[in-house]
Amino acid sequence: MIAARDLRKEYGDFVAVEGSTFEVDEGEVFGIIGPNGAGKTTTLKMLAGLVEPTGGSVSVAGFEAGETEMRRRLGFLPEESPLYEEMTPLSYLDFFADLYDVPGDVAAERIHDTLDRLDLEHRERPLGDMSKGMKRKVAIARSLINDPDVLIYDEPGSGLDPLTTNYIIDFTRELGERGKTIVFSAHNLYHVESICDRVAIMNEGAIVAKGDLDQLQAEHGHTNYHVYTTVEVDGSVRENGRFHRVVESMDAVEATRDAAQSAGGEVVDIRTEESSLEEVFLNVAEDGAERPRESAGAQP
Amino acid sequence: MSGAGEPDSSGSDPSRTRRALSWLRERARNVARIARWEVTKNAGGVDRRTIAVALVALVGMAALAPVVLSQGIALDDGIYRVGVTEDSPYYDAVTADDTFRAQEPDLDALYAKNQEIIISGERVAQYADTTKGRAAVAELRATVERYNDGLMREETNQTAAFPVLVNLTYVSRNVTRVDPPSQLAIVNPDDADGGAGDGGDGTGDDGSGTGDDGTAGDRSGTDGSGGDGTAGDGSGTAEDGSQSGDGTGGDGTTGDGQSGGDSADTDTASGSGGENVGGSNIADRLTGGSASGAPSDISPPFPFRSLVLAFIFVLPLNFIIQAYGSTVLSERINRRGELLLVAPVSRGDIIAGKTLPYFAGAIGVATAITLALQGSVVSVLAIVPLALLFLSATFLGAMFARSFKELTFVTVTITVSLTSYAFVPAIFTEVTPIALISPLTLVVRDLQGQAITLGQFAFSTVPPTLTAVVCFGLGAGLYREEDMFTQRPIPLKVLDSLAGPISKVRHVGVMTAVLLPFVVVAELVVVALLFALGEISIILVLAAVAIVEELAKSLHIYASYAHARFDRGLRRALTLGVASGLGFFVAEKFQLIARLGDLTSRDIGQAQQNDLAVLGADVPLALVAVALLIAPLALHVVTASISALGARRSKSAYVGAISIAIAVHFAYNLTVVSFLVG
Repeated sequence: MIAARDLRKEYGDFVAVEGSTFEVDEGEVFGIIGPNGAGKTTTLKMLAGLVEPTGGSVSVAGFEAGETEMRRRLGFLPEESPLYEEMTPLSYLDFFADLYDVPGDVAAERIHDTLDRLDLEHRERPLGDMSKGMKRKVAIARSLINDPDVLIYDEPGSGLDPLTTNYIIDFTRELGERGKTIVFSAHNLYHVESICDRVAIMNEGAIVAKGDLDQLQAEHGHTNYHVYTTVEVDGSVRENGRFHRVVESMDAVEATRDAAQSAGGEVVDIRTEESSLEEVFLNVAEDGAERPRESAGAQP
Repeated sequence: MSGAGEPDSSGSDPSRTRRALSWLRERARNVARIARWEVTKNAGGVDRRTIAVALVALVGMAALAPVVLSQGIALDDGIYRVGVTEDSPYYDAVTADDTFRAQEPDLDALYAKNQEIIISGERVAQYADTTKGRAAVAELRATVERYNDGLMREETNQTAAFPVLVNLTYVSRNVTRVDPPSQLAIVNPDDADGGAGDGGDGTGDDGSGTGDDGTAGDRSGTDGSGGDGTAGDGSGTAEDGSQSGDGTGGDGTTGDGQSGGDSADTDTASGSGGENVGGSNIADRLTGGSASGAPSDISPPFPFRSLVLAFIFVLPLNFIIQAYGSTVLSERINRRGELLLVAPVSRGDIIAGKTLPYFAGAIGVATAITLALQGSVVSVLAIVPLALLFLSATFLGAMFARSFKELTFVTVTITVSLTSYAFVPAIFTEVTPIALISPLTLVVRDLQGQAITLGQFAFSTVPPTLTAVVCFGLGAGLYREEDMFTQRPIPLKVLDSLAGPISKVRHVGVMTAVLLPFVVVAELVVVALLFALGEISIILVLAAVAIVEELAKSLHIYASYAHARFDRGLRRALTLGVASGLGFFVAEKFQLIARLGDLTSRDIGQAQQNDLAVLGADVPLALVAVALLIAPLALHVVTASISALGARRSKSAYVGAISIAIAVHFAYNLTVVSFLVG
């Protein structure tokens, strides 16, 4: 559904994105994570046809990014919700429905249905009088006004309270379950982990890792072994009458067992813990920290 | 005739035509949607009560304007109270002037400041020794003098009444009366030539027009010009066409002798001491077309009518661009316009849609004013390029501005500069043909019932139209995510807009050519502002021309280097200089050829024609070719290359290089002018 090949974006001397290549299948929820300035937003904007790539290519739903037909099949939610605050949700959504050639009766039904699902009341109130969460819901409703095949969401929960954020993340997950192809960026890795089928990790303009969570864990994460003993061994901590030690390999587990037996004790419990996406991300980020950036010029 | 299934012998491709029509329909639909939204969006931001009040105020103004224009505002009615009896010789004079209120003489009222003057018999007996009282006496003196003059004018023996009588008739140099005025008053100059003539019976042989610039036909009907005015000595216009004997007119395109008739009307109605006389419509009433009376009554001519008419039309544009600039900038504040950019509409659709309501508003207002002043469609057509110029400059300015504070600065700059360009020349519609550089001059001419040739119309409207196109084009280049929402200083934004379309050497030449309308308009403005300064104006104009042209040839080269479009090698810099110089030369000559085509029918081209005649008469053909082609080409290429050499290095090097280029250009201009004059 989405194919990006060697995407590159330069702002003067500054390289914001370089060599990004990835594909997103139909119905897939694809997450892009990375630290600030990693190039996530620029990548999403190139996918949406908002920013013209300096190099490489993007196709969305079979069309080149920026083509009119591609735009008709796309729903884009930028990080901010720049709305026309003098308009009401209904007039605002009506206008965009008109722009997307949505017939009036279909638009009316779709607007009310979406706002119902988003639990948005006060539909005749000027947008300028609404809370940030309500505005975000209107922005999401706008992104769905044309019933798009592809959704590109940049930080959908950005700047919202946890309750609203969870609501919006759940809604996004529901969209994914309904077959929408979604490219999604977020700082909150828990959210990404909870709804994304695959993830790309960006750092300093480049995709440094991508795959599903298992792949990422296998390649960039590790398994922690929590070993509980009855006696103190080197590196253990007393916990609820037992001694707790975290090691990263089975050899270390065996060594801990031997040490406990030597001290007259025994191992009473062993638990495994896989790396979270956050740990994977931190590992990848640390790995890439020493990679030199192509240019350190200031972004315009 | 081709049958079904046969190839189209006309060579047209129906499917291509269908696609083109479909594309146009799509554009029109998108523009209409965005325009409708622009109106409703902004309407939503205004309280309905405010809209209602504004509408009532507008309707009231529209209703009152014609009355006010035709009758004037009489705020001073009855402000001076004069105690005067009916048998006093002053009584009629006092009651004839609305400024005074005649009352029974009452000394107590005078002391109580309820009366300013008491007239007893044939003299002012007493007046209040206050500021108002003294003013009342001065006003009474003037009123009585006017009253006496009026009585004198009613005398049958005018020679006895006015031993010295001066009649002034203000005559346009390029007058071609059109009747009825509602017709499109663009006429072919050929039709105007000699078309007149039956304007009068007053003059006979000596009635021919003698305008010093000699393109008789369209400016002074030759046969039998002049009307049936008093003096009946025909045209004999002075150089500026401002003074002549009665009944000049003589322009009679339509051959109805209107001009002459007007002059005659003026004469018979004389005695108003230069007050409004003659003329049947409001425009005529704004100022008198002529003056007559004793020498003390005659004021120096001032183009008041032109001033008022030009002002009425240019004023609304300044309000409209304030709103337009705000709506364009508001798209850029907080990235509000970002979502329109991902919608299935083009940049052009968005810009056209947002502009259309303001353009329609400007034309609507102009149409309403034109109707109120009984103008023709020419006035409205002439406002179109002006409205486009105001809007495009505002659009570009709003794309440069980073905040509403900066936008205020930008719109004030645009207001002042464009109003000067449009307004100042139009004031001098009757004084100098250079006034035609402004489309407003066409409006003034139209409202004064003068015809406008197609050449004049094109001369006035094409440069601002092309400039508007360039402004919209440059602004549209910035109407994208990467430029709209960045907070770069205005000078850098200017460079962005110039460098945006440039990626190859040939683009530099094209950009230089595209900027030519800017150059033309800027130079015309310079001429309009400086021509009154006398001889020094020639030097200043030559210097200004050099500066404007060198900037137009090199600024985008500097912008290209600033945006790393080209390598900074010597050869590349010279190539860019040559491309720019060549682009300017080609565009300039193209523009010159376009003007030459209409030179004979246009005042503004007369000087150029004379210059060419001088060249052609005294100089060998080869030298003429050098003068007209090779020398300017060499100049533009050399100076553009000098600037490019500086631009490739740094900003300060560019400033130094362009200074040298300007100096070279100025020296060249001075040499050419000295040669022509000498």
